[in-house]
Amino acid sequence: MRHRRGWILSALVAMVFGLTTTGPVPAAAQEKPRSGGTLDFVVPSEPPSYDAHAEETFGVIHPIAPHYSLLVRVDPFDKTGTKPVGDLAESWTISKDGLVYTFKLRQGVKFHDGSEMTSKDVKASYDKIIFPPAGVKSLRKESYRSVEVVEAPDPYTVRFRLKYPESSLLLNLASPWNWIYKADLLAKDMHWYETHVMGTGPFIFVEHVKGSHWVGKKNPNYWDKGKPYLDGFRATFMSSSAAQVAAIRGERAQIQFRGFSPPERDQLVSALGNKITVQESPWDCLNFVSMHHEKKPFDDKRVRRALSLALDRYEASQKLSKITIVKDVSGIQVPGTPYATPPAELEKLAGYGRDINANRAEAKRLLREAGVPDGFSFTFKNRGIPHPYEPIAIWLVDQWRQIGLNVKIETIEASAYHPMLKRGDFEVAMDFQCGFIVEPDLDLVRFVTMSDANYGRHKDKVIDELYQKQARAVDVEDRKKLVRALEKRLLDEEAHVIWTLQWHRIIPHSARVKGWTITPSHYLNNQLDTVWLTE
Amino acid sequence: MWKYLLKRFLLMFPTLVGVAVVTFLLIRVIPGDVVELRLAGDRGAASQAAIDAERVRFGLDQPVWKQFATWIAGVARLDFGTSMWTGSPIWDEIKLRFALSLQVAIMATLVAVTLAVPLGLLAALRQDTWIDYAVRIFSIAGLACPSFWLGILMILTFLIVFKWLPPMVYTPFWVNPWQNLQQLIWPALAVGYRYSAVATRMTRSAMLEVLREDYVRTARAKGLVQRLILVRHALKNAMLPVLTVIALEFAFLIGGLVVTEQVFNLNGIGLLFVQAVAHRDYTLIQALVMLVAGIFIFVNFAMDVMYAWLDPRIRYR
Repeated sequence: MRHRRGWILSALVAMVFGLTTTGPVPAAAQEKPRSGGTLDFVVPSEPPSYDAHAEETFGVIHPIAPHYSLLVRVDPFDKTGTKPVGDLAESWTISKDGLVYTFKLRQGVKFHDGSEMTSKDVKASYDKIIFPPAGVKSLRKESYRSVEVVEAPDPYTVRFRLKYPESSLLLNLASPWNWIYKADLLAKDMHWYETHVMGTGPFIFVEHVKGSHWVGKKNPNYWDKGKPYLDGFRATFMSSSAAQVAAIRGERAQIQFRGFSPPERDQLVSALGNKITVQESPWDCLNFVSMHHEKKPFDDKRVRRALSLALDRYEASQKLSKITIVKDVSGIQVPGTPYATPPAELEKLAGYGRDINANRAEAKRLLREAGVPDGFSFTFKNRGIPHPYEPIAIWLVDQWRQIGLNVKIETIEASAYHPMLKRGDFEVAMDFQCGFIVEPDLDLVRFVTMSDANYGRHKDKVIDELYQKQARAVDVEDRKKLVRALEKRLLDEEAHVIWTLQWHRIIPHSARVKGWTITPSHYLNNQLDTVWLTE
Repeated sequence: MWKYLLKRFLLMFPTLVGVAVVTFLLIRVIPGDVVELRLAGDRGAASQAAIDAERVRFGLDQPVWKQFATWIAGVARLDFGTSMWTGSPIWDEIKLRFALSLQVAIMATLVAVTLAVPLGLLAALRQDTWIDYAVRIFSIAGLACPSFWLGILMILTFLIVFKWLPPMVYTPFWVNPWQNLQQLIWPALAVGYRYSAVATRMTRSAMLEVLREDYVRTARAKGLVQRLILVRHALKNAMLPVLTVIALEFAFLIGGLVVTEQVFNLNGIGLLFVQAVAHRDYTLIQALVMLVAGIFIFVNFAMDVMYAWLDPRIRYR
């Protein structure tokens, strides 16, 4: 039985009644899946190591995720990418006080070497993620600060005890990075998984040829009987987007799971006609503008608000979405997801009103009030990546010029960009983030005062408090209000940062590929157990 | 002769040491850091604690002189260390790509030599005739077309006209020659054409110069047959500058086909080089620079040996 309600509601119900959930099944009646065939896909990046706990690139997820299972995963048929369903967990309960999460594991799940997966393996994997020993890298351990201990009271039960309730924990446990490793291998060598593959996932590792490709074959002992449908997959590493398009056009590959630009989509549709299917979604990635709060005049919130008011986001949405990978006008949550602000409410924020002339008149008034009536000059630092950074930067500069600002773009080579932001060596700069699950806790933590990623160096106790409160809010509606208040504070009242447009994910793929649903994150939905190919 | 060769051979080592020092220092001057890049990923954020821990793991917290001493001691033992991006031994990163790049370079050289020597010779012998003009147009077109552009044209032609694309994955020649050639013949042709253009023009001009030399006139006056004059007296001497061009181009092809490799999705040294620089993978960059520099130096040494064989003045110096 599969629950269909939003996960927050599910979590609440679970707190009171306990909840049983099983693996994913298609949301609607679809064609009968066909077994057989090899999925060929291209990956624009390559895994640095094989250990997802220690890596931060989709180049790890896309080729290697099919070899692993998670404790809880995001429903592969949920377009919002925010509904958790069981993977190795057959069911779970959450205590009334929200401090104990108890997971019942499936029995008879086998690792690819034939050994049985038990709670010992889940505990060892999560101990590595949350409490890594010295010398072991775990990039997301900070996301589990609320977890006090992970217990394995019996072979098929795992329990997470929390120091304080945290609304996002269940979804955070569905993180696509939290692959379950074998405890015995970790006990022998905590670094073993950096160079080896051994999971319980739907596909068994065959080979990795560096710089070239990755191959997996069907796991005949996968716990979900009848799956996977594919006999295997081959991921080919290909950095050039022109080569990726050619690979799909030449039918050497059927899909690329990260995304293509609108012109590339159009090119493929025009060349392949009904042999191609296009799936699109708002993308959980965004470029925003950081302003250095310790540099004048950006220490003045009137100036920062003026910069946001100058932007005609709605016109940009229409124009830029034709040439690059952005589309929706959005607030701090991806449109269409549980905590996203509805468009009508969004229009009340500074710079989001439909009347651009009124917005710009207000912007000029604020600049006058701030003592810069004739505008001023500044340098906008941009990352040297063509899409969508370049078109967005050009658009921003054009918009700012319309309120009398004289802006020069300085493009910094991509590799040197992040250190530049950290040094604070900018007045105004393009900032960026991509999430693996749309969740306020994960998306907003970088805007609290003490965050390592608070490059604009704002200090705002109100934001810090709002963040803490929303993270611990139990009631969904209360949490929404807190997230909205934080949004208003961040983008409007203080305008600490300026939101541009939400990225837009476009996946044109062979019409032969079935059973794969786009989500807002290119880190999700890569286990491939539900994917199948038509004749 | 032997003294000359020994001197040339010994000169290779200070050159390599110079390359090692300059490379090591230069890449540390470039802004950007492998640790921050890797930890930031797509999300664009990484904690300072994680960054510091990784720096210690890679030894990047050590003074630069100490890092250099550790590295150069490894190089002396032919141990280039591990990639800072992937954690794999450097040779594991390089070997497959090197095999592919070497094969493309050899095939392109074969294409170039097969075209350039007969065409250059023909153009020189038939100077200012329609044959000469045709060869000159052919070679100037080759110089004017970047090989990656030719590659794009090839790919588009395959896609649009033949609805076909070369294989995306490299198969070694000894595993499946047909599959291997299906993938590599096209870049070899694209690169070989441009390469042949340079060599054709060089062959033509060198032959024209040699054919006007006194010793060629003497050979003709002695009544030697034309084929003997051309092969033994003219071509052998004209080959000196041509060999230089071919050798330097060959060395360049090992690491310089960055864009062409992207167009044909070849897993070669050029692409690896660009990725290593983009990732600021210090150990891999250092190893690749040493490899390419080593190839250039070795090829130059081989050329010196060839010169000695081709030119008696060097042998008797």
